[in-house]
Amino acid sequence: MNEKPIRLTVSDDLRRSRLTVFFRLLLAIPHLVWLSLWSLAAFFAGLANWVATLLLGRPPEPLHRFLARFVRYVTHVYAYVNLGADPFPGFVGKPGYPIDLEIDPPVRQNRWSVAFRLVLVVPALLLFSVLVFSYSTYEEVGGISLLGVAALLGWFAALARARMPRGLRDLIAYTISYAAQLWGYLLLLTDRYPNSDPQTAIGPLPDRSDPVRLGNDDDLRRSRLTVFFRLLLAIPHLVWLSLWGVVALLAAIANWVATLIVGVSPEPLHRFLAAYVRYQLQVGAYLYLIGNPFPGFTGAEDGYPLALGIAGPYRQSRWTVLFRAVLVLPALLIAGAYGALLFTVAFLGWFAALFTGRMPLGLRNAGALALRYLAQAYAYLFLVTGAYPYSGPCKGE
Amino acid sequence: MPLAELEPSRFFGESFLERSATYERFLQIDSLLAWIALLVALAIYARRGRRLMSESAAGRVGTGMLLGMLGFGVVWLTQVPFGLAAVWWQRRYDISQQGYLEWALGSFFGLGSTFLFVSVALAIAMGLAGVLRRWWWLVAAPLFAGIALLFTFLSPYLIPDAEPLRDREVLADARALERRAGLADTRLVVQDVHRYTEAPNAAAAGFGPTGTVILWDTLLADEFPRSEVRVAIAHELAHLAHDDTLKWVGWLALFLLPATALIAFFTRSRGGLARPEAVPPALFVLVVLQLLATPLFNLGSRQLEEAADRAALDATRDPAAGRALLRRLATTSLTDPDPPAWSQALFAQHPTIMERIALSYEWEEERGRR
Repeated sequence: MNEKPIRLTVSDDLRRSRLTVFFRLLLAIPHLVWLSLWSLAAFFAGLANWVATLLLGRPPEPLHRFLARFVRYVTHVYAYVNLGADPFPGFVGKPGYPIDLEIDPPVRQNRWSVAFRLVLVVPALLLFSVLVFSYSTYEEVGGISLLGVAALLGWFAALARARMPRGLRDLIAYTISYAAQLWGYLLLLTDRYPNSDPQTAIGPLPDRSDPVRLGNDDDLRRSRLTVFFRLLLAIPHLVWLSLWGVVALLAAIANWVATLIVGVSPEPLHRFLAAYVRYQLQVGAYLYLIGNPFPGFTGAEDGYPLALGIAGPYRQSRWTVLFRAVLVLPALLIAGAYGALLFTVAFLGWFAALFTGRMPLGLRNAGALALRYLAQAYAYLFLVTGAYPYSGPCKGE
Repeated sequence: MPLAELEPSRFFGESFLERSATYERFLQIDSLLAWIALLVALAIYARRGRRLMSESAAGRVGTGMLLGMLGFGVVWLTQVPFGLAAVWWQRRYDISQQGYLEWALGSFFGLGSTFLFVSVALAIAMGLAGVLRRWWWLVAAPLFAGIALLFTFLSPYLIPDAEPLRDREVLADARALERRAGLADTRLVVQDVHRYTEAPNAAAAGFGPTGTVILWDTLLADEFPRSEVRVAIAHELAHLAHDDTLKWVGWLALFLLPATALIAFFTRSRGGLARPEAVPPALFVLVVLQLLATPLFNLGSRQLEEAADRAALDATRDPAAGRALLRRLATTSLTDPDPPAWSQALFAQHPTIMERIALSYEWEEERGRR
């Protein structure tokens, strides 16, 4: 496939000014006001672009330029508000911001896809809602997206360390990249459908060697029959997983006491809990269509296309062991948002796999990222590892 | 009065007899076609199902479980058109208000419990076959019968939308009938079904301390006189007093022993049930045996129902109410009072309405002689 027509570039150095981080939401107010005005203009420009593209078969250059500027500006504002970048952005969407967009010039588009763009965009909007869109009212806090959670946690981290953790920054960049593609598709800057693949969203990814890491040998092929019945076929696994979960909880408590005393997780407990975490991942992969084959019931290391490698027990700081249940809370927040992503991936993937017999690469990789994070979070909670879960996408998963 | 002298037209109008016969004929043919489709689908699955082994990364038992579940999944797919046709027919005759999508989703998610049951059963059978080889069935059959016994015991607690019976008058009647049946502290619950059907019904579930009479809320609707509700309760209490639910488990045990032995025999060519590739033919053999045994089970069931009818008459001493209830059951459920013998043998677990009405006359005559 050609290079994406809308590409996110990241040149951010992770440094953050504590002062601007502290006041970030308030500092962004002028941008939010300007953005709402510009959105109004973009709405009418988008309508005009739709009519023109339908008639001419390609977006007129001036409209394309205007809307591309708008999408670039939205990206800058998103990045600034959500701490994906540090400098106060300009008001005209000029290139050069640390999180920026490259948008190709207008090309001919399929008129059918232009005519039905508002319908075609619905699945992408679903994914957008879990990646980017948070909402709340005075009465209740509503859904909080992956971007919202990353920004919230990033705010505390950046305030404390004057740096944005790479994982959170990359996660923010990934969600913003998806949002930019969605706006570009909706406003007819491109007819390339938004791609949710975290592997290609933000440029080069770190090649990490975490103690809990995911190898992915899945070939994207899916059996339509097992896809159709996937939810029901997973029932025996879900029952077994809950039974195993009860024992795993007791084992985790024993592991906590033992690791606190000895400093290292005892080998048998580590092995048992590692198998449980692996099994959880395999069941999740099967249920959410990230993997194709029916997994075994033992959480074996080999034999499943999504292989979770877990390093053997090693010495952990007793302080982090003592407070593990508290330290894990931010990770569980992110895990919750990743859980929503997994659900959406499975929902969309179910239709796609049923019709095509294949899981779309973007959805599969987004799901694999979510599963890997969940596995790392549980492994951290159960003291299988002392390494904090890495929230951003990694190379090769 | 001998059955021969009982003309259905004495009790039911001509138009009803015609309407109920037409209504039931369609459902019977639909069921027969569904059986044929089931057998064809499972026969094909028995031959080709092993290809799906490539969809599993689980070991031999896990793969067998997957093949078992997929077998029932395929069966479900083949049954959907017939199920939808039945829903269409029932809606056409105002017997059911269930929507098509509601039926399809309910049926799909209901398949989940089948999958769970199948996978547990296969885990047991294949686990035993791995250890005992050809003789797994000698242990599996009694084990399955034991599990069935446990489920029968617990089944009253698995009934959805059930509330304890609160109607004081009906409760008082039920307690009096319970004493006459020689029972005590029987659970009496009302199941909320009126959202799906207008047909009235009642059932007995559990045994011993879990013995429960379930009354559909459609039976407690205003149009049912108290005397008729008493008959229905007495009938279900008789099932509990006669330990009919236990007898069912006994029959199942009698079926399981030869059935599992035959499955073991017919799966030998695929390495026995220890091998996952033996699961598709095992399913086929099981379903064929089940279909063959159905008329026998139905025969036994009709005898139990007749005994319960007799006991209800003894308890209520109100054959007129019994007949009125049967007429009402027939008219509200559009049951053909005198169906053809083949459909009675294949599908019916109760005697025909006319046989049951005849029984009430017979009981009256016997009582008169006494």
